[in-house]
Amino acid sequence: MNHLPFEEWLLNNMPITTEQQRDLDLHLRTCAYCSALVETGKVLGSAKMAAPAPGFATRFQARLAERKIAERRNKLWGMTLFILGGLVLLTWATGPYLVSFFTSPATWISVVVGWLVFIGTTLFALTDAGLVILSVIPNFLPPFAWLVLLSTFAGAGLLWSVSIWRFVRVPQGV
Amino acid sequence: MTDENAWVLQAQQGNDDAFTQLVEAYQKPVYNLCYRMLGEPETAEDAAQETFLRAYQNLHRYDSSRSFGTWILSIAAHYCIDRLRKKKFSVFSMDAEDEDGTPFEVADPASPDPEVESVKKEDRARLHIMLKDLDPTDRAAVIMRYWHDYSEIEIAQSLKLTVSAVKSRLHRSRRALAGMWQAEKSRAHPERRSRESLAF
Repeated sequence: MNHLPFEEWLLNNMPITTEQQRDLDLHLRTCAYCSALVETGKVLGSAKMAAPAPGFATRFQARLAERKIAERRNKLWGMTLFILGGLVLLTWATGPYLVSFFTSPATWISVVVGWLVFIGTTLFALTDAGLVILSVIPNFLPPFAWLVLLSTFAGAGLLWSVSIWRFVRVPQGV
Repeated sequence: MTDENAWVLQAQQGNDDAFTQLVEAYQKPVYNLCYRMLGEPETAEDAAQETFLRAYQNLHRYDSSRSFGTWILSIAAHYCIDRLRKKKFSVFSMDAEDEDGTPFEVADPASPDPEVESVKKEDRARLHIMLKDLDPTDRAAVIMRYWHDYSEIEIAQSLKLTVSAVKSRLHRSRRALAGMWQAEKSRAHPERRSRESLAF
C-alpha cells in the first residue's frame, strides 16, 4: 500500500487542511501501518517521566564520598608503587657504580671533576663561536632573507600553538 | 544570574552542597532517560548515579554558555549508549514495574475513566518495551524528543549528530515502532477474536 503523503504528514506533524484530514481518515480505515503510526504517536505524546526512588540525592552523596575515598586510596597506592619502583630501578641502575665509588672514591672524584671541567670549557667555547657567527651572519644575509626566515619561524610557532590548542581543547558532553 | 548558574559556579569552585542542588533539580530527567534507555529501575538508578558522578568529575569542562540540562542529559545518553553497546542484550523487565518505573498498580477507580486510563497505561508500557528493539542512539533521540520535549537541534547537540541525522533517526524509529505496534496488534487479534466468540 502507498502510504504517501500520509506517512509524511504523520511523521512531521504537519498542519493539514480539512480535505486532507478527510483523506487521511479514509486512508487510516484501510491502512494498519498508518493507524499504528497514529497510535504510537499518541502514546509517545502522552509519555510520562519516570522518577527515581526517594532519597536519590542522599544516595548520590554517599556514592560520591565512597568514590572520593577510593580515588584517594588508589592515588596513595599508585604513588607508593611509583616511588618504590623508582627506588628499585635506581638501586639496580646505580648499584654497581655506588659499590665501585665506595671502594675507591678518589678515582671517581677525579673523573667527575674532569667531566665538569670539560663541560664548562666546551660551553665557553660554544658561546664564543655562537657570538662570532651572530656578528658575521647579518652581513651575508640580505634583509628579505631575514624577513622570510623570521616569517617561517613565526608561522611554525603559530602552527604549533594552534596544534597544541586543538589537542587540549575541552570537549563538551564528556 | 539564575539559581542554576549560581549552583554550577559554586559547584565548580568545590561546593558539594551546590552540586547536590543540581542533583535534586535534574535527578528526574536524568533518571527518566536512563530508565527509558536501559529498561530496568535498578540499572537506571545506577546509570543516573554514574552520570552525576561523571558530571561532578568533569564540571570544570562544562561550558556555561550551554544549558546544564542539555549537558547532563548528553552525559547520561552517551553513558547509556556505551553501556548498551557493551552489554548487547539488555533485559527489559515489566513484571514488577509499570512504565513509570513504579510498582505496578491497577487503574485508579476514582479517575474520570479508569478503563481508558488503564488502556493508556498498558499502551505506554507496551511502547516502553518496544523501545529496547531500537538502536541505542535512535532510542536516545526518541526519548529526548518525546519525554524531554527536546528540539531536533538540542538532540543533535546532545548526541553529537547533525540535525538531518536526528530527523532521519527519529523518522526511522517512528516507522520501526509503528511496525512493531502493528505486528503486535495482529498477533493479539486472533486471541481477542477467540475471546469474543467465547463471550457470545
